[in-house]
Amino acid sequence: MKNYNLIIFFISALLLTNCSVELTQPGRFDADSAFQSVDDLNLGLLGAYNELDITDQITFNATFTDEISIGFDSGGQGVGDGRYLFILNSNSAISGQVWTDAYDAINASTRLIEASALITPESGEQDFYNSIVGQAHAIRAWAHFQLFSYYSTDYTDGSSPCVIAVDFVPELDLELGRNTVGEVAALIKDDLQSASTLMSNDTSDPTFMNKDFVTALSARLALYQEDYGMAASLAQQLSDKYPLANQDQYFDMYDDLDNTEVIFKLQRNMGDSYDSQATGGGGWAGALFAFVDATITGSPYFEMSRSLYNCFLTNDVRRSRNIDPSSVINNNYANDPDPINSDILVIRKYPGSDGQPLMNDLKIFRTSEMYLIQAEAAVANGDLSGAAGFIQSIRDARTDGAASAPSYGSATEAWADILKERRIELCFEAHRYLDLKRLAQKASVFIDRDPIDCEPYGACSIANDDHRWTLPIPQAELNANSVIREQQNPGY
Amino acid sequence: MKKFLSLLLSTFVFVMSLSAQKTVTGTVVDESGVPLIGVNIVVKGTTSGTITDIDGTYSIDVPDGSDILEFSFTGFGTEQVDVTTGSQFDITMGENSELLEEAVVVGYRDQTKPKSNVATQVIGAKTIENRPNVSLVQTLQGQVSGLNITTNSGQPGANSEIILRGYKSINGNNEPLFIIDGTPVDEDNFRSLNPNEIESISVLKDAGATAIYGNRGANGVIVIKTKRGKFNSGLKVGYSLLVGQASRQPISFDLMDAQESLRLERAYGSGRGAEIDEDSIARVVGTDWLDFFFRDPVTQTHNLNISTGGENFRTFTNFGYTDQQGILKDSGIKRYNFRSNLDGRSENGKFRYATKLSLNYSTNDEPNSIGSGAINRNYLLGAFQSVPYISIDEYVNGEALLSPLTFANTPLFLYDRLQTYTRYEKEIKAIGSLDLSYDILKTDNSLLTANSNIGVDFVDQNLVRGEGPTSFNALLFAQTGNVTPGFQQQRNDRVFSYNWLNSLIYSTTLSDVHNITAGLYTEYFRATLDNFSFFQEGLDPRTYFPGDGSGFIEDNALNDFFVPDVGADKLYAGLFSYFASLDYDYNSRYGIGATIRRDASYRFSSSNRWGTFYSISARWNLDQEPFMESLPFDLLKLRASYGSTGNQRITVPGNIFYNYFASPDLTENFFGTGSGYGGQNSLFLSQIGNTTLKWETINQINVGLDFELMNSRLRGAVDVYSIKTVDLFQDRPVSAINAITSQRANIGSLSNKGIDFNIRYDIYRRKGLIVEAYVNSNYNKSEIIDLPTPDGRIQGDITVRREGGPITEYWVYRYVGVNPANGELLFLDADGNVTENPSPDTDRVDTGLNRIPDWSGSFGLNFDYKGVYLETQFNYVTGVYRFAFDYSSVIDPTSIGQFRMSNDLLRAWEEDGQITDIPSLNATNLALDDDSDRFLFKSDYLRLRFIKLGYTIPNKILQDLNFDRLQFYVMGENIKTWTPWRGYNPEGTGNASRNYPSPRIISFGLDLAF
Repeated sequence: MKNYNLIIFFISALLLTNCSVELTQPGRFDADSAFQSVDDLNLGLLGAYNELDITDQITFNATFTDEISIGFDSGGQGVGDGRYLFILNSNSAISGQVWTDAYDAINASTRLIEASALITPESGEQDFYNSIVGQAHAIRAWAHFQLFSYYSTDYTDGSSPCVIAVDFVPELDLELGRNTVGEVAALIKDDLQSASTLMSNDTSDPTFMNKDFVTALSARLALYQEDYGMAASLAQQLSDKYPLANQDQYFDMYDDLDNTEVIFKLQRNMGDSYDSQATGGGGWAGALFAFVDATITGSPYFEMSRSLYNCFLTNDVRRSRNIDPSSVINNNYANDPDPINSDILVIRKYPGSDGQPLMNDLKIFRTSEMYLIQAEAAVANGDLSGAAGFIQSIRDARTDGAASAPSYGSATEAWADILKERRIELCFEAHRYLDLKRLAQKASVFIDRDPIDCEPYGACSIANDDHRWTLPIPQAELNANSVIREQQNPGY
Repeated sequence: MKKFLSLLLSTFVFVMSLSAQKTVTGTVVDESGVPLIGVNIVVKGTTSGTITDIDGTYSIDVPDGSDILEFSFTGFGTEQVDVTTGSQFDITMGENSELLEEAVVVGYRDQTKPKSNVATQVIGAKTIENRPNVSLVQTLQGQVSGLNITTNSGQPGANSEIILRGYKSINGNNEPLFIIDGTPVDEDNFRSLNPNEIESISVLKDAGATAIYGNRGANGVIVIKTKRGKFNSGLKVGYSLLVGQASRQPISFDLMDAQESLRLERAYGSGRGAEIDEDSIARVVGTDWLDFFFRDPVTQTHNLNISTGGENFRTFTNFGYTDQQGILKDSGIKRYNFRSNLDGRSENGKFRYATKLSLNYSTNDEPNSIGSGAINRNYLLGAFQSVPYISIDEYVNGEALLSPLTFANTPLFLYDRLQTYTRYEKEIKAIGSLDLSYDILKTDNSLLTANSNIGVDFVDQNLVRGEGPTSFNALLFAQTGNVTPGFQQQRNDRVFSYNWLNSLIYSTTLSDVHNITAGLYTEYFRATLDNFSFFQEGLDPRTYFPGDGSGFIEDNALNDFFVPDVGADKLYAGLFSYFASLDYDYNSRYGIGATIRRDASYRFSSSNRWGTFYSISARWNLDQEPFMESLPFDLLKLRASYGSTGNQRITVPGNIFYNYFASPDLTENFFGTGSGYGGQNSLFLSQIGNTTLKWETINQINVGLDFELMNSRLRGAVDVYSIKTVDLFQDRPVSAINAITSQRANIGSLSNKGIDFNIRYDIYRRKGLIVEAYVNSNYNKSEIIDLPTPDGRIQGDITVRREGGPITEYWVYRYVGVNPANGELLFLDADGNVTENPSPDTDRVDTGLNRIPDWSGSFGLNFDYKGVYLETQFNYVTGVYRFAFDYSSVIDPTSIGQFRMSNDLLRAWEEDGQITDIPSLNATNLALDDDSDRFLFKSDYLRLRFIKLGYTIPNKILQDLNFDRLQFYVMGENIKTWTPWRGYNPEGTGNASRNYPSPRIISFGLDLAF
């Protein structure tokens, strides 16, 4: 070999290796061109819906209040993280979950709304297009309402601090302070107005947001804001349209086989991104209470609290629905030396569907809530017997007419009975914490845990005006946002 | 047989020849006339010998018939003298250039030790080979000062955490670059490689050495060279055998037996003990589940190598076989290694080539869910926490465990899993390289060489795991109506990378004293990852076999139970660099060096593509100075270097096959498609890019001293360094309104300062006895300098990052004991007042403690007496704090009735005024200890990591036997540990519990060559 041959060889090798490192990874989809057509918008809508989940709220409402007790098969769930012990601070999981879940949904729906403005629907697509954009507004309204519910200290004071109202896609370094309750409520109402204008009149599918969803959310918002006239009128529209389920329908509703009184629910299917055993939320709703299935052999780490069980009448379908027949009921539980093992109340609100144990749709709005809203409005109006009537309608439906009619001697008594009915009717549906926040003081009631459930943990109740009835702004937001860092809720 | 015969014959001859002798005396001096102390003198062909005394004089009896004396001394050559003609011989010994001028790797180029400007430490084959550690990294532990190796698992071949001179990144990669024969390899995968093939490991520590590795050199570089044959040598065959037994190391707390457990449960009113009386308790025969899930397996390793060399070629061929069962049932590795190293040269020596090829195959039984709290999946949980009164005889089958389903049956769930669950990984790992070099220009005082190295690292792993259809877990989680549950998952990961390095190196000597070496280089790296997987649900028990598809149930119209999940992934990685080096030496007395490198990484191709890294280094060989002549220094060299390196590995992926590929394009905005609402396909935002992302840059200054004195009796190196990482990869908190709460960005800085030293001293070397002491140590202190939040703090659950604090600092409130009045836990609030109800928000304090050692290293004593030798290695770390969750779980009263408890609970507070360290079993604020330091224990340890007692048959016997080497030894790994830690293993990388503790291994070895 001649020298120069080798030199040429090496020089060409040096040149050859001057290769590019600009690599495009497979499967990447540029964000700027994500939405090109109405069909793309629809895919985006399915993505935005997928941000909606309330399982983290279900488990928090249940454990922080008085819906569950620590089960015989507990591995420390609820205790280890402090929820059952009323430990709540800016590092608590729930504080971050509600906050980020809602803003994820707000961001996704806002991107959809902004992208839709750049797309002109082709002929024949206008209704579809409108429906998509309308639902995007509804999603954004719902997400803001979640934040409104958990982080506002006073729903009725329009000038009190609420959350950040966002109806745009923000720049990354933006640090915004809290808007007021009034401002956030106004944005929710605007979005609901837009949604209602754009949506079709078809309300047949309760797994997608439609005009009835808009009405229901408006009613709940009005109730929270104590705009009782509005709340009652909206709720009545829906209670007129959607009958209360009878006992069989009620039972089937929680097997996801009957939608008689379902106004809106989040659909959960096998193979979707929530099809998993996630005990802290984000998976099957039933896995928030048991590891395996909703029977005594399904490793129920949380059981129904004794105090909630005691609220049920024997002939109430809600008792047979919510308590699994494999439960071991010990009526002498109070005197039993080992009630943990002798009194086992297995929750069966989420037994599973499509053959998958513990996986169920998440009910968001049902007719019975509309009755309960009207009952509250009646009390606020001084119409105690009217209120009793609404409560009686629910009890009649659930007991097949066997319940005796209530009668209230005072508003406080009426608030307390409405709160009790909400506790029974809406148990494990992420209402109890918010209901106590709103009504406990009016009704003069407290977290109601049976001594057998709470005394071993030294955690029986907290004051009904405690600061913990409002969630703290999460640490992650405080770290990022210097403005909101000065605006933490009181007590945290 | 012939050999053994000759052994007998030669023994006979020796005895005969001891009949007559004469005495020879003399003095041994070095080239400058200084007497040499401790020179070994042997009558050639016999075992008789002596050493020189303090004046360098000696006296030895030489038997008749023997006529040659052999003089040898560390650092010097070997001299032979014919003594037939007299009785007085004064000897002058020359320094052995081969020994002193041992090649030192200085990044892409080798230098001799006196001419090296940089901080490196070299480990030779002798300390790596024939150890029972499957991974060579575990053997390296403690052997290099500043290299802190922590292995979290006793799984044979488990990956270790390798940290050189402290954590230089908070979130990015912290492990060094490993290069085997020029080929960069995955730093997390050594289980398939054979340590016995290794000739040397050089650890490059300072920027002077690592800057030339640019964006890969941030965490140090470890250069591994494999063995080669020798030119002009005959056929050499080596064989080594290692047979050992592994066992569990002792635990540091007292667990209850069956009766103790039941009595506790009876007293507490929970569990089986609450339901039976004392007589029944006494009759219970339980099971110690520690003994059940662990075992004492036999391990074996065989290694055979053949080398030969002709005038212009040489080969080294190696075959290795390792079969090591883990101490945890169902764990182990079987490994086959082949290596063929071949090199040759042209007749004039100008052209040289080498191929290094290593083919390795291993099957790994590796249980998963280790460390988890899954009572039905983690065997360690079964071993550590199962109630001892449950007997293995209670097990019937998986179905019988379904009802009643209680936590106390944990060991039976796991026993069922042992029977029905399969998980193994089969891995092919191949590393190959081709080296070409040609001397383009060669004169008496200059040389221009062109080199090209192409290296390939290939790994293919096939994972199979299956949960049998009749197993407890399959039945437990079966959908309603699914009579053929169970699953089988298979996953194949394949990573191929190649690295092509080209260089032109020119060296010249001017006026005999000016030595200049300059190099120009390009380097190109590409890697691809491919994987695919499926997860089949539904297995027919009649035809199911793990890894086989005969039993798969097809999807059908009735339900969606049996729809398999499938997945595939493909990723690319690429780097390109060009760089240069320049070294100048003046008469072996002064030297300076400089490197500069331009680097492009695919990760930043759209933000900051090119980075520049450089270093300068210098040395002063003090021993070459005239004024040093009267001092006893063989080598005294002062070094200093400063330079920068980069880290382009933004994140550390959970799956080691993604090491090159993780976070490939964080600079871009992406949407993704996939499962949306109701499982329908959807479109969603998947990434918000950071358009300014770039390298972490590590600036390091290092000053060091290399020394050898008193005829190399004392030798070593001391280095002090200061390292600052800037543009740290940190998660910049982002307001949640962006749909993300943080984004990886370059923010903040971190410093590491410390000292490394490795010193060896021959305490005694006379009359055939050599006693050597050594110490390798590092002290490192990290400090966060700058953080992205306005108040300079980022608080997690129990850790905090703060400016001025160490990394991974614990942030908890302080536990101070038990209230004698009520048995409640007592804590301190932020102001130091005692409280029973500390607030997690306001009472947590910065502790200054973390899990990273302050001091780490090893020391030991080695003895050698006429071929009988004893080696010891004690490893230690100090300043390590970890949460002892394995301990907290056995004294947690809420687990009584479900899990095994410690006898410590018997000390629990019971009555007013009782002073104890264990709170009341019914204390109401037990859960508050989660955010406290109650279970934060010091995890320092001193461990007799390695001890070896061996006998090397003396050369003179071997020569007659035609053996080159024959030795026997027994050795132990992890023999004894002293630690304040409460748990199974003080060595660990995190705060997790229920991990797989590392074993103790006692082995017998045989090593021969002929």
